[in-house]
Amino acid sequence: MHDRVVETKCLTKRYGDFVALDALSIHVDRGQILGFIGPNGAGKTTAIKILVGLSRPTSGEATITGVNCSENASKIKRLVGYMPDRFGSYDNMRVHEYLDFFGAIFGMHRRDRRKRIAAVMELTDTTYMQDKFVESLSHGMQQRVGIARTLLHNPEVLILDEPANGLDPKARIDMRQLLLRLASEGKTLIVTSHILPELARICDTVAIVGGGKVRAFGPLDEVMRSLCPLRSYEVQLANPEQLDRAAEILGKTLHASEPISLSRPERVLRFPTVRSELELSQLLQGLVAENIFVSQFREVTSDLEDAFLSIAAEDGPSKTTNQVDANAGLVVH
Amino acid sequence: MKSILFLENPILRRELFSRLRSRKTFLAILSVAILSSLLVLLRWPSDATIDLINQGSLQVFRPVAFTLATALMMLIPSFPATALVSERRRGTLALLLNSPTTPLQIYLGKFAGNVFLALVIFSVSLPALAACYAMGGISLVDHIGPLLLVLFGMAVQYTAVGLWVSALVNSTDASLRWTYAAVLALAVLSIGPTVFVGKLSGTRSLIAHWTTAISPISALQSITGSQAQASEIGISARWPEFLAVSCVITVILAVITLMRLDPRLLERARPTGKVVGRTIPKKPFEGWVRRVSYLVDPQRTKGSIPWWLNPVMVKEFRTRKFGRLHWLIRLVAVSGIFSLLLTVVAATGTVSWGVERIAPTMVLLQVALLLLLGPCLGANLIASEVESGGWDLLRASPISPLRILIGKLMSTIWTLLLMLLATLPGYLVMGYIQPAMSGQVGNVVISLVVAVFMVTTMSACISAFCRTTAVATATSYAVLLSLFAGTLLIWVARGKPFGPLLVERALLLNPAAGALAEMKTPGFESYRLTPESWYIGATISFVCLTILTLRIWRMTRPN
Repeated sequence: MHDRVVETKCLTKRYGDFVALDALSIHVDRGQILGFIGPNGAGKTTAIKILVGLSRPTSGEATITGVNCSENASKIKRLVGYMPDRFGSYDNMRVHEYLDFFGAIFGMHRRDRRKRIAAVMELTDTTYMQDKFVESLSHGMQQRVGIARTLLHNPEVLILDEPANGLDPKARIDMRQLLLRLASEGKTLIVTSHILPELARICDTVAIVGGGKVRAFGPLDEVMRSLCPLRSYEVQLANPEQLDRAAEILGKTLHASEPISLSRPERVLRFPTVRSELELSQLLQGLVAENIFVSQFREVTSDLEDAFLSIAAEDGPSKTTNQVDANAGLVVH
Repeated sequence: MKSILFLENPILRRELFSRLRSRKTFLAILSVAILSSLLVLLRWPSDATIDLINQGSLQVFRPVAFTLATALMMLIPSFPATALVSERRRGTLALLLNSPTTPLQIYLGKFAGNVFLALVIFSVSLPALAACYAMGGISLVDHIGPLLLVLFGMAVQYTAVGLWVSALVNSTDASLRWTYAAVLALAVLSIGPTVFVGKLSGTRSLIAHWTTAISPISALQSITGSQAQASEIGISARWPEFLAVSCVITVILAVITLMRLDPRLLERARPTGKVVGRTIPKKPFEGWVRRVSYLVDPQRTKGSIPWWLNPVMVKEFRTRKFGRLHWLIRLVAVSGIFSLLLTVVAATGTVSWGVERIAPTMVLLQVALLLLLGPCLGANLIASEVESGGWDLLRASPISPLRILIGKLMSTIWTLLLMLLATLPGYLVMGYIQPAMSGQVGNVVISLVVAVFMVTTMSACISAFCRTTAVATATSYAVLLSLFAGTLLIWVARGKPFGPLLVERALLLNPAAGALAEMKTPGFESYRLTPESWYIGATISFVCLTILTLRIWRMTRPN
């Protein structure tokens, strides 16, 4: 029996003729991390704003632990810890004072607030920066203070918009470990990110949105299988002179829908296929039987980037080429 | 050289085009055109006869000249004040400094861009000046030419001030605040010492004379034929002296700004903050020195916000540079000392001023301080929260819109009231010297409290409709100066064309005028403004508060 914490049913948001969100239906169970992925303008922030009670849907329903997000916004604010993509810094304020202020506006009693601030600072490893001015912190430090702020009132659900954005590799690893730790403590997390390999490492479930619609939703493995049915294989040869002959042998068995590509510097042949393990072992056997010296025969695993790009490609080049390129650029960097 | 000075300078082209495209510039041009035309229309003689001898044409020319100068003081500083600081915050200053463009080109581009803009704005007042000329009695050489030169001198001087401040500070609103304070000091406070101390002799007289030449007031009075009034209060500088001083100030500030305009400007370390006693061991001597100099140690650990205080109000005080207790104590102390000093001057008879003259001076100084601090405090309330992204965090919290509103307003009202309270000892001493004045002092205090509420609610209301703090600050200053200084300009032009009824109605909008009338300030004796001005002030505050409440309620709703 799943303990469903966050649920949206046919969530739609229109701004005049523009449909920002089109019948979004997703759900997240307790202790799970949902990766919310999509190109810029896909509707991620709109969906998040509805979930945290900052926006109302045109139609449909969003609930958190059964509480309707648009009808009971004040209750939702206590259930959710929201970290927007902008930190929201104040001048001349120390980290401790900053957290104390947010504790106070959540109505926490002074004594409880002190204890809670100490606890969240320890959890997010921000205790050493408690006397620093908030605006003087580096981006990575601010992100950690941001997480501490969202945890102050001990919410059941954490919604984090681009928490890994602009972080260096070390800070990213720390952030990943922190999010996994929070999930293990029973928190439910919704995380958006453009750094897809990061999400792939922590998410149980992913929702890929494009043009306001859900393009894929479910456990990470299932989404990968449904979006990337063609598995990619690589055959690496010991002798580069045998590349053309190997390609000829493989070509006799493979169909036109399984095109072979050659990389001479790498001594590698690549092909996508839907063939079973048995059929693939027969292919390998055929190569060996023809005295082809195979050094490696391996599957190239598809990742979230491939899934994302396949979704983006479905939207058509005229609509999303730039967005996809922009995102691809971010990933590369 | 050509590319440094003229339109080939890419910085100048960009500055000029971007400024001319902005709505702010359009509104500035429009307001100057309307104001100058309206004044000429109102003062145009109904019999339309040519007046070559008497003062009729000067009576039209005088308010036009003072209005143009006031408009220039209000409009021009806002452009250069944001020129360098906004470039630095956007990161484009680093790009400029890393390009082959020299710091001199950058400075001259920005400087010339702002001066050209001032010329464009004031070119729309030329028809009004031409109308004055057409009336007769006004000459190009003695009146219109010198006026245009003084206005040009002001534009150049205030542009240099704005750019200098912009290179010093870290935020656009701080830059606006300090630029307006510097312009006010140059234009008004520079004549203060001479007015207070009276006529001097020898070298001190020479120094006092050149100090008053910093202000355009004396120059404008000499141009508009009011030199006798100026000499009465001890200022006698003429317009060529003002131009000479303007040139010197402009060159000095330009050199200082240019010296700062290099990559070192971008190398400012962010203050990391340190709290003695928790993360850093306490040094007894250092702690003792800080306690003596600050009274409240600024580095001491702040406690948690208690339940009985509005957290938004506490946050506002803590995030304001001058909102921290050690700064508030200084502000209050300076206000208190100054008011007592003035009263002592009156009591000891060092100058031939009585309580009747000191009291209006105190009122004017209090209103000046109120107008200097109030708009920037109020304008910061909502716009800076929206700009920093903090507003979304407040919206995502369960705090009610009413609590946000109360917290924000109270943070400004308390600061301004504390400042007013600090001057009460001065009034008490006055009441002791002249017991008959006690009732008047009470009415003055009420008028000033009404002014505090008006300034706070109006600037907060403006802030709620602006997306950036810089725009909110500039708009607040413009609106409040128009209300407080504009009504006094109408009073200046009393008799012709403004009848006593219109002047009285205009003054009713200004609680400071109510306070001046209570103190029987020369020129205000015939007006009976209280309690009507209190009711009007309270109504304006209430309307602004209602609009602000609705706006905040709307801003906290799911959109």
